[in-house]
Amino acid sequence: MQTKSFEKSTLPVRADLVEAHERAWAAIAAPGTWLTGGERVAVAAEIRNAHPCATCARIKAALSPYADKGTHDSLGVLIPAHVELIHRVVNDPGRLTEHWSVSVLEGGLEEGHYVETVGLIAMVMMMDTAQRALGLPVRTLPVPIAGVPTRYRPPGAKKAAAWLSLVEPEDAVEADGSMYPSPKAGYIYRGLSLVPQSLRDYWALANCHYLPGEVVYQFDKSIRAIARPQVEILAARVSALHQCAY
Amino acid sequence: MLRESMQITGREVDVRGVTEGFEDDLDIPHAAALVEFAEAVVVRDEPRAVAARAALLPALGAAGLVDAAAVIGAFHGFVRIADAIGIPYTTAARGSDVPELRERAGVNTFYRVREDA
Repeated sequence: MQTKSFEKSTLPVRADLVEAHERAWAAIAAPGTWLTGGERVAVAAEIRNAHPCATCARIKAALSPYADKGTHDSLGVLIPAHVELIHRVVNDPGRLTEHWSVSVLEGGLEEGHYVETVGLIAMVMMMDTAQRALGLPVRTLPVPIAGVPTRYRPPGAKKAAAWLSLVEPEDAVEADGSMYPSPKAGYIYRGLSLVPQSLRDYWALANCHYLPGEVVYQFDKSIRAIARPQVEILAARVSALHQCAY
Repeated sequence: MLRESMQITGREVDVRGVTEGFEDDLDIPHAAALVEFAEAVVVRDEPRAVAARAALLPALGAAGLVDAAAVIGAFHGFVRIADAIGIPYTTAARGSDVPELRERAGVNTFYRVREDA
């Protein structure tokens, strides 16, 4: 374990990436919109615990991903629906269905819990995967910060384009805080918009890992140490291996 | 995005490689080693990842290798948001992800697309 991202790296790591990780871990430890700091760190722990789950391994190997009704190997902190959400999204994200997402909500999670948890999964997996890719141990989990979730739900949120409610750019209000770099922001940007703070936390990190929104469609520009086609061949192959159609 | 990043420099890429693997003569420097690195990380094969890093470090330099790892990490996040929230995949790449392109790339064989069909 490391107490700071990349601290055991023998390769120099750009400062903005190190700082983005530290900001992200601080955000994970803090009270969220629907989850307390303790619950958010418990989600992070369950994300790391999910990979060797025997039930998930059987599901992943099965042609029918919803036939196995086995119990996940969980840490026992979160309710079963929350564990189901985390384990499926971590281990078999390409075979999720709208029907499954409804069943998770019916298991005792509100939409806000679901979306905030997905944001945490995306952040933790992004950071832990980059660490593993460089042969580094993952960072120790942060100590939770006390406080009460705000339970803010954007008034413009509605379920239409996706399985969960989104805030379309034209429906965002001042109370949501800043969300979109452009009114044309793609659906990948809108995905976490039901929980605006999760959207902001996620993109502050993702922009440092991949590319900031303002240069994503400038294909002749490369702000990284590898060329744009090299970035995109990695992106395409990783997405395909996850069976992601987006 | 891969196709567009190639077209801007007047090059083409056979998008079937996204699902079927790319030909060795792909006009992207160190493409085969990059793909090998990505696959090793996705399947959590540490010996493969060690070998891939050893091959890429002299080719890309330290900063390039770190950026490659960062991008691989990033797409472990993006795919989970897209697939867990159920955003419409037909809008990918600002709608340039046309049905013919998805078919050629092999994306129409993916579970979610088959379920929607």
